[in-house]
Amino acid sequence: MPLGVEIPVKEVQRYMGYRGMVDIAPDIQAKISKAIDMLGAQSHPRIVTKEYPVRVRGNDITIYNDTEEIVLTSESLARNLKGCCGAILLAATIGPACDRLVRRAAVTSAADASIYQAAGAAAIEAFLDDQNAKLEKDYESQGLFLRPRFSPGYGDLKLDHQKDWFRLLDISKQIGVELTDSLLMVPTKSVTALIGIGIDKSKVGCSGCSGCNKHDTCAFSKEDK
Amino acid sequence: MNLRDRLGKEWLFCDGGTGSILQKMGLKGGELPETWNLTRPDDIKSLNRGYFEAGSNIVNTNTFGANRFKYDNVTEIVTAAVKICQQARKEAGREDDAYVAIDVGPTGKLLEPMGDLPFNEAVDIFAEIIKAGYEAGGDVVVIETMSDSYEAKAAVVAAKEVCDLPIIVTMVYDETGKLLTGGGVEGTVAMLEGLKVDAIGINCGFGPKQMLPIAERLVKCCSLPIVVNPNAGLPRTENGVTIYDVDPDDFASVMEQIAKLGVHVMGGCCGTTPDHICKMINTVKVLPFVEPTVKNDTYVTSFADCVKIGKKPVIIGERINPTGKKKLQQALRDNNIDYLLTEALKQEEAGAHILDVNVGLPEIDEPSMMEDVVLKIQSVTNLPLQIDTTNIEALERGMRIYNGKPMINSVNGKEENIKAVMPLVAKYGGVLVALPLDEGGIPETSDGRIAIAKRIYEEADKYGIPRKDIVIDGLAMTISSDPNSAIATLDTVRRVRDEFSGHSILGVSNISFGLPARELVNSHFLTMAMQNGLSCAIINPCNGPMMASYRSFNALMNLDPNLQEFITAFKDYVAGSTTVASAKSSASSSGAVLTLGEAIERGVVGRAAEAMKEALDSGRDSLEIIDAELIPSLDRVGKGFEKGTVFLPQLLMSADAAKAAFAVVKEAMADKPRNTKGQVIMATVKGDIHDIGKNIVKVMLENYGYDVIDLGKDVPPEVIVDCAIENNIRVVGLSALMTTTVASMEETIKLMREKKPNTKIVVGGAVMTPEYADQIGADAYAKDAMATVRYCDSVFEGLVR
Repeated sequence: MPLGVEIPVKEVQRYMGYRGMVDIAPDIQAKISKAIDMLGAQSHPRIVTKEYPVRVRGNDITIYNDTEEIVLTSESLARNLKGCCGAILLAATIGPACDRLVRRAAVTSAADASIYQAAGAAAIEAFLDDQNAKLEKDYESQGLFLRPRFSPGYGDLKLDHQKDWFRLLDISKQIGVELTDSLLMVPTKSVTALIGIGIDKSKVGCSGCSGCNKHDTCAFSKEDK
Repeated sequence: MNLRDRLGKEWLFCDGGTGSILQKMGLKGGELPETWNLTRPDDIKSLNRGYFEAGSNIVNTNTFGANRFKYDNVTEIVTAAVKICQQARKEAGREDDAYVAIDVGPTGKLLEPMGDLPFNEAVDIFAEIIKAGYEAGGDVVVIETMSDSYEAKAAVVAAKEVCDLPIIVTMVYDETGKLLTGGGVEGTVAMLEGLKVDAIGINCGFGPKQMLPIAERLVKCCSLPIVVNPNAGLPRTENGVTIYDVDPDDFASVMEQIAKLGVHVMGGCCGTTPDHICKMINTVKVLPFVEPTVKNDTYVTSFADCVKIGKKPVIIGERINPTGKKKLQQALRDNNIDYLLTEALKQEEAGAHILDVNVGLPEIDEPSMMEDVVLKIQSVTNLPLQIDTTNIEALERGMRIYNGKPMINSVNGKEENIKAVMPLVAKYGGVLVALPLDEGGIPETSDGRIAIAKRIYEEADKYGIPRKDIVIDGLAMTISSDPNSAIATLDTVRRVRDEFSGHSILGVSNISFGLPARELVNSHFLTMAMQNGLSCAIINPCNGPMMASYRSFNALMNLDPNLQEFITAFKDYVAGSTTVASAKSSASSSGAVLTLGEAIERGVVGRAAEAMKEALDSGRDSLEIIDAELIPSLDRVGKGFEKGTVFLPQLLMSADAAKAAFAVVKEAMADKPRNTKGQVIMATVKGDIHDIGKNIVKVMLENYGYDVIDLGKDVPPEVIVDCAIENNIRVVGLSALMTTTVASMEETIKLMREKKPNTKIVVGGAVMTPEYADQIGADAYAKDAMATVRYCDSVFEGLVR
């Protein structure tokens, strides 16, 4: 099953480290297109989502599952979820093909490896954006609005919560992603996230790069600093 | 009655879901279900008993996740689970016809090279569980919910090494019949049949309806009893509660349809209850039972690919074999695995279906090299491999670590050899190349060879190796010493097909040894052999005439649907040329006017190598070329990168081009001592599997004249420090991507300070900052590859003390 969504060239270039308006040599452009084609064809995206009731008190966010309650403590996530009473937890991956393509490319060319790496990052984001848009539409038809997605390790939300996501969503079994001892996911082009559900559109400036406390130093920030 | 005697002879039934029932009994999220074997044994007993009473013949112990990652008392937990299940069986009055199954689930880790769990450690983990279950009196090992065929192999190997119980393996596929790690139904079945398990199946993932088409595929390709254990439909959540929709009646009715496909063991998984199982049994047990039928297809597989050996000949790439190849010999001596990987990828691109891997050199440790090379080649290509060695230990190490069902090259008719090789094939599975020679030497005639082949088939029978998994070598030997040799070989190939309905193989190019224009003889001989029924050709797929013969043969014999392969390969063919125009050569010719320096600056790999060769051919000194042209152009790009006018991809293209130019120099000076600025260790620290940044730094350092010892990723502190001590290293570069792995970076630095204080440590990676580097005690922070080069220069030029 191919990726099913288009990988935006501009995003691949951004992940490759290009900034501003630059002329990209035709041979590099050709390599980028090839990487996009290969990833588009060989990826095997999967996603698992579950909706939970949540309650925000101060910086504590409680997720209510039928058998347990999980408390996340994060100022930035609490801000993101202000006014929400529910949340979608999700995990997604584009599958192992990207990691293999990167390893393959690395044998002969560091440039190719970095291009596949960037295309993979853009691919998982494109897949998630597409899924996100579908969820948004679903919820809007019920009069509900979704907040920007937020991941463990993002802002001040501890990466340790990866374990909660893996337990709640049964991620290994559902989409074939495993967690290493150091809380990294394999296949590497995988994402865990939470999306708040609110009854009104978010008024808080908590979306995208500007909502992140690493915004000033991040090399991949989308917005001007 | 032994379960093995009943499997495939009558309807047998497994149990159903566990987790959902335990949750109803009050299992909390995050609570480990197997602890209940010790704390709430009566609840577990009632769970087991419910299934025995529902009619299940095979009931799983509550040990799905009972591994050492979650428990430090695995044996105690597993023993208790088996005892509880036995007690439940007794109370249900089913001691005569039901079995206690040692339930083995996945470890929750991905195996190397994709993840961080070494294969042999996975085997240990499974062995601990299965041994405890066996010693406690379990009757059968059920390995289930496996989404990675490699992990399933580790569990099967473990089971075979600690007990002789029947083994049932069920995998999780998605709707398209793929495992989460990319394998398909047919390839996985081939691997598991090779491993000689007792039954193969599917479980979990989705409901019975979605499982139907996959069960159908299983029935088509599997010669063993087939097991089907679906969920009670697709799960969905309502307010955080997982719900399965298919009720017992609906479940039974779809299971009836699946039963009619010709499967043999049925049960349930998540969301199914004793009710589901009971209804299903009542519906299915009255249906006619169809015994499994033996399928005759021969497959060689990797984790993702499945190559069928049959009517259409298969190309086996011969390039990874040091015999007569100086560069490969040197690469093996230098532990330069990248060279072998490059050869692997080249052959794949040229059209090989399987790659022969032979790493035998007297002065290297062949067993550990074989293990390492098999693992690394499988990390970059999907192609199945042919493990080629006469060293039995190397053979076993290669077969064990191999992900899939490999080809084995080879066994011969000598008694001693059969005794050494065949037990390994019986244990790990594989398609075995058999050389029809024995204690009496190589028979000159096909009669003699066919007689030995017959004996080898008979020996294989004794070891339970199916005849379809034997491939007879026709033994091509040069016509320059025996004029009859090609005739005898072709005859042998033909008779293997006609008299045994067997498969054959040839090392094709041996036929022309000692002759001029070998490719002429070889390519014609290949066509003749294929016409005589050759199944597998070991050739150099990068050789134009050989592939031209192969593709023409397929086109002529209606083995190339729509002539697609032929047309794709030869659409740019120029009449009269013997080589095939490739994309590569045209790319390099487009840069034909560039000087070496320009080629490097623009990152034109092919031209850079070409220009370097021209410069060397013109008699210039290699060091002079490097200093005057190569390094300055690389430097210009590097400086541009530092200023922000050149971006990373361009820097890397230049680095690739420089690397190609260096390779030319290296080759030219193969016999002379190398001149390096110094030795540097590069490693991605323990716990971190992201090594792209480290690899980039490595390429740059090498281009700038450093000899880099690349320790790879996920490297423990001791390994780095020991290597630094052993080689008296002055600079170590460490990379870490995430905050969670910076801790092991700090640990590495601490250990280095303690054991080898005079080594400088430079660190980098996404989360690193100069402050952070300082805080964990590093000597320097490098923000990118160029900065690392500059730092190393400063150390080796004595600027930093």
